[in-house]
Amino acid sequence: MSVGTLDRAASLNRWRHRALGEKALIGLGFLALAVTLPPWPGAALVSLAMLGFTFPGARVPWRLWLATVALPLGFLAAGAVLLLVQVGGDGIGLALGGTERAALLCLRAMAATFCLMFLAFTTPAAELIGGLRRLWVPAEIVELALLTYRFVFIIADEAMAMTAAQRARQGHSTRSGWLRSTAMVIANLLPRAMARARRMETGLAARGWQGELRVLSQRNPVSLGMVALVLILQAAILLAGTLL
Amino acid sequence: MHIMEGFLPASHALGWYAVSAPFVLAGAARIRRIVREKPEVRLTLAAAGAFAFVLSALKIPSVTGSCSHPTGTGLGAIVFGPSVMAVLGVIVLLFQALLLAHGGLTTLGANAFSMAIVGPWVAYGVWKLAGRAGLSFSASVFLAAALGDLVTYVFTSLQLALAYPDPVSGFTGAALKFGGIFALTQVPLAIAEGLLTVVVIEALSGKTRDQDRIAALAGKFK
Repeated sequence: MSVGTLDRAASLNRWRHRALGEKALIGLGFLALAVTLPPWPGAALVSLAMLGFTFPGARVPWRLWLATVALPLGFLAAGAVLLLVQVGGDGIGLALGGTERAALLCLRAMAATFCLMFLAFTTPAAELIGGLRRLWVPAEIVELALLTYRFVFIIADEAMAMTAAQRARQGHSTRSGWLRSTAMVIANLLPRAMARARRMETGLAARGWQGELRVLSQRNPVSLGMVALVLILQAAILLAGTLL
Repeated sequence: MHIMEGFLPASHALGWYAVSAPFVLAGAARIRRIVREKPEVRLTLAAAGAFAFVLSALKIPSVTGSCSHPTGTGLGAIVFGPSVMAVLGVIVLLFQALLLAHGGLTTLGANAFSMAIVGPWVAYGVWKLAGRAGLSFSASVFLAAALGDLVTYVFTSLQLALAYPDPVSGFTGAALKFGGIFALTQVPLAIAEGLLTVVVIEALSGKTRDQDRIAALAGKFK
């Protein structure tokens, strides 16, 4: 998976043009529920709701979604296995109640991951970062993050081109060669990135840049029906999670 | 080693946000001051952040047969300085969560503390100390990068152990469990990253072994 894969998916799904606030309400609202409610049945219900929003709702490509979710779930498997065992003076044994603790952890972490995946797959990162302005994050830092975002794909393309050239010339054929090749890519990438930044700075300064890049962004209308549906669903899960 | 989304209980997630906040705020204040004095470094800083992010998309071989990616903790600390790295690190972690589903939003505070604060400060401290102790240039860089990586992984294991103590042996037992299982991948990775960083810094500084030259490459915002 390359750096731009998720970003592309985020721009191509059916909910691309839904308002940022709606998607943030879904992703972050359910995320808060997933980590604060008792995992059973709270997180399980959140998982179901998120799968509903992700697939029938936003029509996210499921193959890519599965390939992306595999990495965090691998971490989860390794972490959850450790809750099954206990280590003490007598050596290693199965922990009392370990299965239950591991299952609850899996439920919560899965629900939370589905929320993050929903945001990552439906909303381009630039929009989400831009939204931070409304949360009192200083403008300089938001601008820095947005500039970083715009640089990421250019520098990543450059790194991928260099790596491809090295592979074509047996640069990765031995382990030590591979390590040295990667080091050479990094060593060549940093001065190039800096030089590119300086060139761009000169160009922008010549055009009277004041430190803010204004780009057109589409303001999408908030659908009240959707907001009401999400709030009702969240209230129902909150109720079910605290009462059951 | 990123803690995945939702792995930490809400109280721990909030706690780590609170612990990281002063460092990130101090770094942010520093960046705002630098940017106000020298507006031209804005793009340099952004390119540095993007560079740090792209490192995580490169693959390096790991001794256990799998492959992994460099973290750039040591390299960033040596080239850009640790206080700036706190903010750049948080931005990188945020993009890793949003563009690669690596790490998470609730665990951002915990990951930022181990990867953007503890790791860079340790790497920077080791780099300075080793230089003062008269170790060779390559040895200082290797130690800084490898120890920066190791400390990050040990600290992450401690964070996990704090959240999930062992029923019998408590925090210590859990720290050994988490540390033990992730050591399989993280120890070889730390060594690989140490070696990698030596080659990078040597190539970057044109083998002049001059710390100023490295700082010059980084756009002099240290």
